[in-house]
Amino acid sequence: MDLSVNLAGLTLKNPVIAASGVFGYGEEYVKVGDIRWFGAVSVKGTTLNPRAGNPPPRTCETPAGMLNSIGLENPGAKVVIEEKLPWLAQFGVPVIVNISGESYEEFRTLGSMFSESPLVSALEVNVSCPNVRAGGMAFGVDPRSCYRATYAVRRAWHGPLIVKLTPNVQDISSVARAAVEGGADAISLINTLVGLAIDIKKRKPVLGSVTGGLSGPAIKPVALRCVYEVSQAVPVPVIGMGGILDYRDALEFIMAGATAVAVGTAVLVNPSVPRSIVEGLIKYGQEEGVERISDLVGVAWR
Amino acid sequence: MSTPEIHDVLAEVMSVKRCRGGVYRAELVAPEIAAVAKPFQFVNIKVSPGNDPFLRRPFSLSRIEPDEGIIEITWAVVGKGTGIMATWEPGREVKILGPLGNGFSLEDKGLTGGFIAPLGGKAPELILVAGGTGLAPMYPLVMSARKSGFTVSLFYGGRSLESLMDTDRFEQSGCEVHISTEDGSAGFRGVVTGLFESRLRNLSASDIVVACGPRPMLQRLKSMCGQRNIRLYVSLEERMACGVGLCKGCAVKTSGNDPGYRHVCTDGPVFLADTVELGGE
Ligand SMILES: Cc1cc2nc3c(=O)[nH]c(=O)nc-3n(C[C@H](O)[C@H](O)[C@H](O)COP(=O)(O)OP(=O)(O)OC[C@H]3O[C@@H](n4cnc5c(N)ncnc54)[C@H](O)[C@@H]3O)c2cc1C
Ligand SMILES: Cc1cc2nc3c(=O)[nH]c(=O)nc-3n(C[C@H](O)[C@H](O)[C@H](O)COP(=O)(O)O)c2cc1C
Ligand code: FES
Repeated sequence: MDLSVNLAGLTLKNPVIAASGVFGYGEEYVKVGDIRWFGAVSVKGTTLNPRAGNPPPRTCETPAGMLNSIGLENPGAKVVIEEKLPWLAQFGVPVIVNISGESYEEFRTLGSMFSESPLVSALEVNVSCPNVRAGGMAFGVDPRSCYRATYAVRRAWHGPLIVKLTPNVQDISSVARAAVEGGADAISLINTLVGLAIDIKKRKPVLGSVTGGLSGPAIKPVALRCVYEVSQAVPVPVIGMGGILDYRDALEFIMAGATAVAVGTAVLVNPSVPRSIVEGLIKYGQEEGVERISDLVGVAWR
Repeated sequence: MSTPEIHDVLAEVMSVKRCRGGVYRAELVAPEIAAVAKPFQFVNIKVSPGNDPFLRRPFSLSRIEPDEGIIEITWAVVGKGTGIMATWEPGREVKILGPLGNGFSLEDKGLTGGFIAPLGGKAPELILVAGGTGLAPMYPLVMSARKSGFTVSLFYGGRSLESLMDTDRFEQSGCEVHISTEDGSAGFRGVVTGLFESRLRNLSASDIVVACGPRPMLQRLKSMCGQRNIRLYVSLEERMACGVGLCKGCAVKTSGNDPGYRHVCTDGPVFLADTVELGGE
């Protein structure tokens, strides 16, 4: 089966992407897995200035998933451009830079900074991080501000532009349409759902910053519903994610309308998950007589 | 710093035993990990297939046998994952990722007892202070410290005699063992830091203290050793997901004016006490 997919002008050798936040900038991943099994990688949410992140505890297991409140710990755009991207380029895997701004102005600045780097294959505008006080999810919960954040990057960046949406909204399709009007070439979804856990011994929230983002298999049905809706609402490709653990999960997302899929939390449990998904897809293609993975995109509603 | 070799292996459980102190101990066949592991390194274990529990669980290596290709872990049952581990049967296979963390080796720290000793007369001492399951990672360090010419003594405390783990292997390797219990059922009556206080007075700048246990114990040791300028290393635990640096979940605050964080899995688990905030300061 031909696994290659076209994503807003970018050709990926397979549809399996490393979701932002579980891959860092690759340096740690290479100690436990082979980057080349990914069709593309989305690096850690990057901000204009370095961020130290949130107070611990930052993670907590929940039924079939986890909460995280990392808080966009990252070294800032300058270090990413000068040090991280040149190193990551050696693997020949397309690099998607996930960016997060505190204002429209900052989004625009990030867009122009990354347009100076030839090593960026696509930008992913994160208007959906639940773990930062300024910016973050605030831009993604309202179609108008999503439009403005997208447009701010669009004016400065001329390559493939992905906008990453939050499921913590009333009508995700209207936010997706606003992103496309603002210039998005693709939509990725979903980011984490806002959640909470309480430590009954301490009688206090487990996480240092009280709430966190829920990810993993627990959110898969919500994510699939979002992909199913949004892929029918917008004319651009969708990258689906949320609880994908194996090739069967990946196929569900593709059939629901995703052109490509991303794996997040699964990488933390099983670093070699991209390989097992790719091999599973190939086997499925042989058994079911599917020639191109792209033939399956959206078959559930087509 | 050299890149540690990390292996993701399916290891056979060779034995599981319930031991003194109510803890469990398992030997796992993992030659790749045993061959390269250092004291205070840990492994991240998928305790059972499926999503419940979902994430792996981190455990220190309580014994490393490179020649036999075996590693041992020792744990207390505190929740779902550790409860399932207590039901493991020999022959079962579990996924383990390791060795993780930098570990702690005296050689890496440029500390080799044998070479410092002749100057002052007294051989430098390595003092281990452990509370509860904090004893688990100490034994591999004892083995390597003896090889580097340190005199090693252990201060180990718990609530009562029943809560204490077995210290036979420490005694057998020539380590001086001092015990405390809060109820006085064995050894010194009181907390382990109280027991350690008497020894602290005789320590000098070439000696080092390595501690593992509950945060309040580590906090207390930090202020005690700080006052006397004794070098203290603390082994920290934080909730983990990946164990390898991918998620940035295992943050611990750096001390002083630097508002940053370090990560237990990649920067630790052992830290020089002065460099991290242990709370209550
Ligand atoms: C580097 C490192 C080395 C460790 N070595 C040992 C060891 O040698 N022996 C041992 O008994 N324990 C060790 N621990 C702690 C052990 O990982 C936890 O007790 C275990 O993960 C709890 O799993 P559970 O499913 O039984 O508990 P859960 O049901 O998940 O939680 C029960 C309790 O355990 C605590 N806990 C949960 N996850 C973690 C975690 N990842 N780290 C720390 N505490 C946690 C929580 O505070 C909670 O109160 C170590 C932890 C770390 C980070
Ligand atoms: C530890 C962790 C850190 C994350 N960091 C980011 C981030 O920096 N930027 C972002 O857009 N999404 C981030 N996410 C969200 C994931 O990219 C993904 O959207 C979400 O986890 C759902 O997918 P999953 O269930 O496969 O993990 C993070 C998720 C986790 C678990
Ligand atoms: S546990 Fe993921 S970075 Fe330490």
